[in-house]
Amino acid sequence: MITEPHIPDPDAFYAAWLAAHEGLSEARSADLNARLVLLLANQCGDPQVLLDCLRAAAEAA
Amino acid sequence: MERYAFAPAYELPSWPFTPPPELAEGRSARHPVVIVGGGLAGLTLACDLAVRGIRAVLLDEDDTVGVRGASSRGICYAQKSLEIFERLGICERIAAKGITWSLGRTFSGEEEVYSFNLKADSVSAQPPFVNLQQFYVEWFLVDRIMALGLTELRWKSRVTRVQPGADAVRLDVETPAGAYTLEAEHLVDASGAHSPIRTQLALPAHASRSTDRWCISDVRFTKPLPTERWTWVDAPFNEGRGVWQHLMGDGVWRMDYQMPEDCDPEEISRPEVAGARLREQLGPDVEFEFVWIGPYGYRDHLLERFRHGRIFFIGDAAHVVSPFGARGGNTGIQDAANLAWKLALVLHGQAGEALLDSYDAERRPAAQKNLEVTSRSARFLAPRSPAEHVMRRAVLSLAVRHPFARALVNTGRMSVANDYPPAPLLPEGGRSVQNIAFADAQGRTTTLMALLREGTHALALWHAPTPAQLAAAQAAVAGLPVRIVTLNGDGGLQAGGAELAHLGLDAPGRLLLVRPDAYRAALLAAPDTLADAVRTTLALS
Repeated sequence: MITEPHIPDPDAFYAAWLAAHEGLSEARSADLNARLVLLLANQCGDPQVLLDCLRAAAEAA
Repeated sequence: MERYAFAPAYELPSWPFTPPPELAEGRSARHPVVIVGGGLAGLTLACDLAVRGIRAVLLDEDDTVGVRGASSRGICYAQKSLEIFERLGICERIAAKGITWSLGRTFSGEEEVYSFNLKADSVSAQPPFVNLQQFYVEWFLVDRIMALGLTELRWKSRVTRVQPGADAVRLDVETPAGAYTLEAEHLVDASGAHSPIRTQLALPAHASRSTDRWCISDVRFTKPLPTERWTWVDAPFNEGRGVWQHLMGDGVWRMDYQMPEDCDPEEISRPEVAGARLREQLGPDVEFEFVWIGPYGYRDHLLERFRHGRIFFIGDAAHVVSPFGARGGNTGIQDAANLAWKLALVLHGQAGEALLDSYDAERRPAAQKNLEVTSRSARFLAPRSPAEHVMRRAVLSLAVRHPFARALVNTGRMSVANDYPPAPLLPEGGRSVQNIAFADAQGRTTTLMALLREGTHALALWHAPTPAQLAAAQAAVAGLPVRIVTLNGDGGLQAGGAELAHLGLDAPGRLLLVRPDAYRAALLAAPDTLADAVRTTLALS
């Protein structure tokens, strides 16, 4: 799992992420994020990295 | 209100109760093998023992097959089960009466999101699946067992108590003509999910019950539908819940509807209510008649050990999983086939006791795997929280557009012949060898199952040995229960390229040791280790 900065333009990505959710209800936002997780998970494809990401996401709460 | 017709009930055979010698003579007798329960697992075991020349006593509470008045239970017979039935001599009958299929489609709403064709990577003489009402399979097994003539089928015989002992297990049996006691050197509990033997011995089974509810409607209608397995995750004609649609014998369709968790089983199975559901799915013009309506919930359990001394647990007595993927009955059939040849070799005095322990070592991990797989399907089909619904919705909406997400759509992963983990008798682990067809010197077709049909022996399939190698190996294994078969060499059988690849025998000189249950035991690069490999695999004494 990569934890060092890896997104070339973090502010631009964050803005694009917000824009994708703009005007959506809470439920539709949740749906969108879930679809996003699946698409990103398929980009990665490495089972160990996916499990590490799941754990890191749970721990950050 | 529309009125719905019912087809006449199935006419099942029944067999007479005959008072056993124990009752007539008033004394207990000892039997090498006693099987309790005449369902798929128990009957398969009795039949598989009989073809190996082993006598057994089978006790069954009832005097017929199936569940009286009901047609529920298993309908899908997987390739490995069909291969076992082919070896036992009833596969043709099953295929003739049943529906052969290999294609499954999954829908979400109005759209198809996923399909699979199980035929694509098969080299077996048997199809991936045949659908048939369970009682027909049991019926054909009983006919075959009776023709073989080595099994005492004792109907109307209920086991009330078992007492494990050092030399044998004592069983108290209740019959219409009174109670008696008999002894079993090996007792096989195939008495199903509610096994009284398991209960009496207080063996932990780690049972759990799902809150998911379904209702089966077995129906006949004239609307032509493809003979494929169709599943809806969220059918528009069932208030967004799951639906299964599958054809079995006699032109009967099994339509299985997911119901609200808090439904009243009696209400949802009323003909008017079940009929209205079908009408919603089939449209206004299709005439249909019910064969059977049955609401159900599912449960699971898994025994910690499948062997307790002289008692072996097979089929639902040992493990129960949710129905998704047809991993219940098929697993019981394959438990039976795993145990039969081991009992035969031990009872023939050829193999040691360790062979019987390998039943638990191989079949418990198989059942554990099936429990994991079916639990995941059940969880996909019945999300337990709003968050799980969000996740499933994400999978389904992406699956319509993108192939990667289709792999996540889980309406049941169809039963496969489970791999076995590495173990002392199986150093490389084991996996099933399909029922490959070969051509003999005269161009006639034979199969792996035909080669395994007579007696109880392993097969050494050898790609093109030299005559000198063959003679040396024959001498080395003389007297051992193994048969050497030459492939694509002088005077041997001919195998195609795909078949050789499946066997791992692409390269000439290689040799594959196959067990009596058509599991691969060892792939040998040189023939001089064959005799040792046979001794290890079969735990020869």
